[in-house]
Amino acid sequence: MRREDQERILSELVTRLGAAEDVPKLRERLEDSLYFERQRLDADRGKSPAYARDVQFWDGIRERLRKRSGEPPAALLRSVLRFYAEEIQGNFDPRVYELVTRFAPSGLGLMLNAVSPLRLVQRLPELPKMEDRIVIQGEVEHLRRLHERGTVMLVPTHVSNLDSPVVGFALFKMGLPPFLYGAGLNLFTNPVMSFFMRNLGAYTVDRKKQDPVYKSVLKEYATLTIEHGYDNLFFPGGTRSRSGAVERKLKRGLLGCGLSAYVNNLRRGAPNPKVFIVPCTLSSQLVLEAETLIDDFLKEVGKSRYIIDDDEFSQPKRVFDFLTRLTELDSKNHVTVSRGLDVFGNPVDDEGRSYGPNGQVIDDRRYLYVEGEPQIVPDRDGEYTTDLAEAIADSFARDNVVDCTHVTARALFRTLRRRNPGVSTLRLIRTGGRDEDLPLVELYTEADNLLREVRAKAERGQLRLARSTVGPADEVVSDGILHFGIYHKKAAATRRGDRVLLPDRTLLLYYQNRLEGYGLEGGDLLADDRRSLREVRP
Amino acid sequence: MSPPALDRNRVAVLGAGRLGRAVVSLLKGAHISVYDRRPSALEELAGSTDHPRLSTTTDISEAMQGASLLYLAVPASSLAELCTDLAPHGLPDQMVLLASRGVTEGFQLPHQHVRNKTCLRQIGVFGGPLHVRELSAGRRLNAVIASRFHLVVEKVREVSAGAPVHFQVSRDVIGVQVAGAVGNVASIAAGMAEALELGDTARGVLLARGLLEARTLGVAIGAEAETFSGLAGVGELIPRAVRSMERHLDLGRALGRGLPLDAALAAVAGHVEGVTTAAESVALARREELSVPLLAGVQAILHGEVEARTQLEDILSLPLELGSR
Repeated sequence: MRREDQERILSELVTRLGAAEDVPKLRERLEDSLYFERQRLDADRGKSPAYARDVQFWDGIRERLRKRSGEPPAALLRSVLRFYAEEIQGNFDPRVYELVTRFAPSGLGLMLNAVSPLRLVQRLPELPKMEDRIVIQGEVEHLRRLHERGTVMLVPTHVSNLDSPVVGFALFKMGLPPFLYGAGLNLFTNPVMSFFMRNLGAYTVDRKKQDPVYKSVLKEYATLTIEHGYDNLFFPGGTRSRSGAVERKLKRGLLGCGLSAYVNNLRRGAPNPKVFIVPCTLSSQLVLEAETLIDDFLKEVGKSRYIIDDDEFSQPKRVFDFLTRLTELDSKNHVTVSRGLDVFGNPVDDEGRSYGPNGQVIDDRRYLYVEGEPQIVPDRDGEYTTDLAEAIADSFARDNVVDCTHVTARALFRTLRRRNPGVSTLRLIRTGGRDEDLPLVELYTEADNLLREVRAKAERGQLRLARSTVGPADEVVSDGILHFGIYHKKAAATRRGDRVLLPDRTLLLYYQNRLEGYGLEGGDLLADDRRSLREVRP
Repeated sequence: MSPPALDRNRVAVLGAGRLGRAVVSLLKGAHISVYDRRPSALEELAGSTDHPRLSTTTDISEAMQGASLLYLAVPASSLAELCTDLAPHGLPDQMVLLASRGVTEGFQLPHQHVRNKTCLRQIGVFGGPLHVRELSAGRRLNAVIASRFHLVVEKVREVSAGAPVHFQVSRDVIGVQVAGAVGNVASIAAGMAEALELGDTARGVLLARGLLEARTLGVAIGAEAETFSGLAGVGELIPRAVRSMERHLDLGRALGRGLPLDAALAAVAGHVEGVTTAAESVALARREELSVPLLAGVQAILHGEVEARTQLEDILSLPLELGSR
């Protein structure tokens, strides 16, 4: 980000959110902020690096608020806004950004440094090259065009903390500059990574802050950066998918920033005012944090923990093992770019024109009109954003790349269910059913049927298939079982002669969940068993 | 340069049939352009009103030109076609108002046709006991307007300013439409009960069950249960029970007298949406694994699979509580 934009965004943000309000209301808001922050700091008890600074700041605010010395509460609110905004923006150094974006080849190294933990272990000779592992496909040229014609919000699916480096790398390979990216505070704990993340456009999001003022600052900050033409990256699922399923329910809060920015752009007559939402589906055969995530899912079906700071990602050795094993198997990560959408969820073409359901070009500005002028209307815009979220989720489902691990896991579950009629999914996960192991032949039959089903769906454009699912059922299954055995502490499935053992059935659930929501034979385990999962926690 | 703005006071009424004629008297304060493919229907409408600012046309784009509100005045079964016709001329800032009370294949609700075929998003639906005859008799109406967009509600109030209507506002677009559509099926049952002389109590119980089953189906597809206790639900149940002139009742009476469906339909003037709604409701209930004995019973009677009296008496003997199977 350019330095002049940095300061402009900060002061514009304070002006917008600090707009006049009556004094009692303002006091109430500040009291709320104090309350929420006090709670957070009490729970934190000095663990976070910013603890001392935060305590000091809020003590000061309390003092000033209590002292009826005549300082207007509006001034206090402005202090709070600036405090939050500065933390979000971080100590971004435009010179580093310049350097990286100007010198592409050396930039690659820096980029990997910046947004991934890879560099930390890159000196080890066996470390896999990202280049060989990442398959970028879909509407790549379209994305480049949209980047020229307006501001892009890239919205990927999210299963792993490795997703951001993967996207960062993919953007680089596509010849695009880094996108601004709101990263969880927990990703900034490593000082080396933190330095580069900040300088490549990552700003901080502290999900422990519950203060509504903080949340509005975050949204306004994102909106302002979009208005200033900075492409953004959001994970609209809000957090890594705990179940492993492709996200269906998306968070509308940050998604709505695109629409607000578009209205503001139109109102001030900005050049290239349009904001494009480009869904991007990340798919991989194995997921680094699968065990922790699915555990969390089972523990908290329905209400996720949201913040996990002690998972596999925080153990460099495991990250390293994971990546090395994947390379040995020539495993691929798919980054599939979908067709762009306008902020209302309509598809756009390369020129950025919006299309209605009847395939006709529409003047999308008119969605925002009140008496012929673009205006923000909260309930209406919320509905538009719901429509957008739905359109994104549809793209995710269509561009999800199904791999051998997912097919194998689901076929195994089907086999389990067939042999244990009437037994709930949860019970199957806990007990493994009545058999010690499963006959491979039955698994092959299930896999064969399943492959037929998913191939038919792929032909209709309802999902995508990885190359690992092209062969006959027995090959696909062997590949799947091989993958299950290489990284996870306990394998989801292993082969012994003509039988299959299932040492970790929760992992099996995790991988099969990638095929949920497609109306496949046997129904959706998650939908069917959500209730029973909630009732009896393992 | 900004594209031309719409006329805030101009309403396009698309369809000059029963629904179209009815709404004209509501739109007191607006300029109205009425579209219909049939010149005869337009003539009839023009002849039946003294609205000072009304024009008619057989050109849909002309009717829509500059209109800030489009009122789609056709039965649910014709909505898909109308939406295809209007889609090329629709503008994203035009608002839509619907009054169709029926569903189509796959339990598609009227607003879904608009969403699936056109770029129009700001949609409102009419519901509740909106009875045209009362309006023409100069009585005050009570109606529900449901929309997720408060600007649509404001717009409807604006263009109907001065008309004797009291609007209640809801955000539950799905619930209001389901209550109206499924209520029609219950009215068929009530008509049958009347012809079979099962008594007023039976008629009331059937209508009440119809409302409960509407709620069951509605909630399954995203409606709010409370909607069915409001004006669009209970509020319409009572008028349904006391009213004697209505097409769905008439159809039920004809069936109750033993006429087969074709003959019964021929005996009723106008389009009866409840027949399709019954079939689609039963299909939806099957998909969602819900129990809807009244709707299933009416559907079976309509198609001559069961004898009406026995079927209705069976239904009347069931406890009035519903749940999933």
